[in-house]
Amino acid sequence: MAIARAPHAAGEAPRDAAPAAGLNSVHLTLEALEKRYGNLPPSVSALSLQLRQGELLGLLGPSGCGKTTTLRMISGLVPVTAGRILVAGRDVTALPPYRRDMGVVFQAYALFPHMTVAENVAFGLEMRKVSRTEAKERVMRALGMVRLEALADRKPRELSGGQQQRVALARALVIEPSILLLDEPLSNLDAKLRDEMRNEIRDIQQRLGITAVFVTHDQVEAMAICDRIGVMRAGRLEQIATPLEMYERPTTPFVADFVGRMNHLRGTRLEGGGVRVGEAVLATAGTSPAGEALLLMVRPHRIQMTPAATAQPEAAGRNVQPGTVRRVTFVGDALHYEVAMGAETMLVESSTVSGPQSFAVGDAVFLAWSPDDTLTFPAGTEA
Amino acid sequence: MNTLSLPRIAYGVLVALLLVFLLAPVLLVFPISFSADNFIAWPPSGWSPRWYVALARESELLLAFRNSVVLGLVVTVLSLAIALPAAVMLVRKEFPGRDILFSVFTAPLLLPSIVLGLAILIVFVGRGLVGSWFGMVLAHLTLTLPYALRVLATGLKTLPPAVEDAAGTLGARPFTVFRRVTLPLMAPALIAAGALSFLVSFDEVVISLFIVGPQLKVLPVSLYHYVESRTDPLVASASAVLILVTLLLVIVVERAVGLRKAVGGGG
Ligand SMILES: Nc1ncnc2c1ncn2[C@@H]1O[C@H](COP(=O)(O)OP(=O)(O)OP(=O)(O)O)[C@@H](O)[C@H]1O
Ligand SMILES: [Mg+2]
Repeated sequence: MAIARAPHAAGEAPRDAAPAAGLNSVHLTLEALEKRYGNLPPSVSALSLQLRQGELLGLLGPSGCGKTTTLRMISGLVPVTAGRILVAGRDVTALPPYRRDMGVVFQAYALFPHMTVAENVAFGLEMRKVSRTEAKERVMRALGMVRLEALADRKPRELSGGQQQRVALARALVIEPSILLLDEPLSNLDAKLRDEMRNEIRDIQQRLGITAVFVTHDQVEAMAICDRIGVMRAGRLEQIATPLEMYERPTTPFVADFVGRMNHLRGTRLEGGGVRVGEAVLATAGTSPAGEALLLMVRPHRIQMTPAATAQPEAAGRNVQPGTVRRVTFVGDALHYEVAMGAETMLVESSTVSGPQSFAVGDAVFLAWSPDDTLTFPAGTEA
Repeated sequence: MNTLSLPRIAYGVLVALLLVFLLAPVLLVFPISFSADNFIAWPPSGWSPRWYVALARESELLLAFRNSVVLGLVVTVLSLAIALPAAVMLVRKEFPGRDILFSVFTAPLLLPSIVLGLAILIVFVGRGLVGSWFGMVLAHLTLTLPYALRVLATGLKTLPPAVEDAAGTLGARPFTVFRRVTLPLMAPALIAAGALSFLVSFDEVVISLFIVGPQLKVLPVSLYHYVESRTDPLVASASAVLILVTLLLVIVVERAVGLRKAVGGGG
C-alpha cells in the first residue's frame, strides 16, 4: 500500500494559510454526503468539504449532530446514502474500510479485549505484513508517544479509561495512515495529559503530513491545534473556517455561541443606521433594512469597562453605555463581570494580567466596544 | 450486613424449603445408589457398592451410554457448525423478515416435545429414518439448534462495541476479522452453546423414544425401559453417574462464561 506523504514533512505546516487550491493538493474531498438510517430524517446531509494534504480539521457540534456518522462514512464503516468521497482524486465511496488506509480512534476506544496492549497496537502492522522485529520497535515507539511503554503487557480491562484511550490512539497512529479520523480521542484524559496528547497528535500529524479529522466537544482544543474548524448542527455543516475567522466572523448565531461566549442583544434597525436596543441606540458595522428585527452579539472580552467616576471614555464611533456591576466571578486567568446595562445583562471578561483595575459589585461603570465587534444577525436565526 | 429481621428470616426459610423440594429427589439418588437391597426402598437396610458393580456389567446400558455420548458429540459439533453462520446472518445482516426468521428458528423451544416427537416420527417413518443414526442426529438437531442459535446470537449481540469495525479500519479483511477478533471473543458463547447442545441431546427421552430402534439404543430410553421392568437400585447408581457427568459439564460452562449470562435474554 503506497502512502502518499506531504512534501512539507519537515515539521512546519501551513497553519493559518487559507485552503488555496493548487498550493497544496486537495487530499480528502467530501461531496454532498448524506446518511439516512432507515426512514428517519438524515443524520448527515449535504456535507461537502475539501481537506488539503496534511490539514487538520476540527469537527465541532452538539451531541447527536452527526460527527461520528460523518467519520464512519469517511472510513467506510457505514455506506453513504448519497454523495461521494474522494481521496487524492480517487473515488473511494465504495471501498471497504480495510482498503482505505485510514486510522480511526473510536469514541468508545474499541480495543481488542483478548489481546494485550502491545498486541492491540501491533494488529494493524501485522495486517500490513510488517516484519516482527520492525513491528515490535514501532509498537514500543507508539506506546512511548502515549506514555504507556510500561503497560505493554496488560490487557485493556486492566487499564483506566484514559489509558485505554491512549492505547487506541497509539493503535491508530502506529500504522501511519494517510488519513486519520479521531472521534473525541482525548475526552477521558485530565487537563494536563489532554494538552500533552493534543500537542503530540498535532506533532505527529504534521511530521507525517497526515490529513486528519478531529472530532471534539472542546472548542478550545479545536482552536488550539486545528487548521480549520467545521461546526455541525443537525447533520449539516454550518460553517467551516480557520479558528480565528470562526471566532471573529461566525456566519450564524449558532456558530457564534458554539465557539466561545457571546452577549445577546435584541433590537430593531433604525432609519439612520443605528440599532435600537431598549433605551439605547448602538452602532454596528453592517447595514440592513430599517425596521428589521436584529440579534446583536458581542464577545465578552471585546468589551472595555471603565469606572463611571472618571470621564466618559473617548467615543470615537464606539458604543458606550452606562451600567452597574451585579456579579464578579474569578476564573483564574480572567474576571467575569455581570453588568446590568438598561434592561439587559452583559457579560464582560477582563484578563487579570492586563486589566489595570478590578471592579466590585455595585460599581457604576461604562461599557465600551467597537461597532466592528458587534455581530448582527436577523432575529429568528438563532438556535 | 443488616440485622436479621423477621421477613428476612421467613424469606430465607422459604427459599430453603423450595431448594429442598427441588433437590430432594436428586440428592436421594446418592444414598439409594449405595443400597445393599434388591429393590428400591427407603431407608436401605444396608450399604454396598454392588449396584455400581452391576452397572459396569450391564452391557446393554453401557452400549446405550456409549451411543448417547457419540450422538451427543456429533449433534454438538453439527449444532455449532450450523448455528454459528446462522447466528451471524440473523444478527449482522439487515434483511426483511429477519426478526420473524429469528423467532421461527428459536420456536421449537416452546413446543411440547411430545408434539415435536410425533411430528418427526410422521416425517421419518416413510423414509427409513427411524432407528437410524442419521435420523437420530437429525431429530436431535431440531432440539439443540434453537438453543445453540439463541446462545450464539446473544454472544454476538453482546460483543464489545466497534471492535470488529476497529479491526477493519486497521486493514483486516472480513474473514480475518472473524478469525482474529469475533471468534476468540465468542469462545465463551461457543462453549456454552456446545455444552447445552450436548446436555439437551444426552438428556432427551421423549423424542428418542419415538425414533430408537432395536439396533440403536440411547441411554435415557434404555434406562426408561429398565425401570419399566425392574425395580432394583441399579437405576439409582446410573442416575448418580449421570448427575455427576452433568454437574461436570455445568461447571465447565460456569467457569467459561457464567451460566446465566450464556443462556440469558436473547431478544
Ligand atoms: N445506527 C443508527 N441507527 C439509527 N440512527 C442512528 C444510528 N447511528 C446514529 N444515529 C443517529 O444519527 C444522529 C447522529 O449521530 P452521531 O453518532 O453521528 O452523533 P455525534 O455528533 O457523534 O454525537 P456525540 O457527540 O454524542 O457522539 C443521531 O441523531 C443518532 O441518533
Ligand atoms: Mg459521536
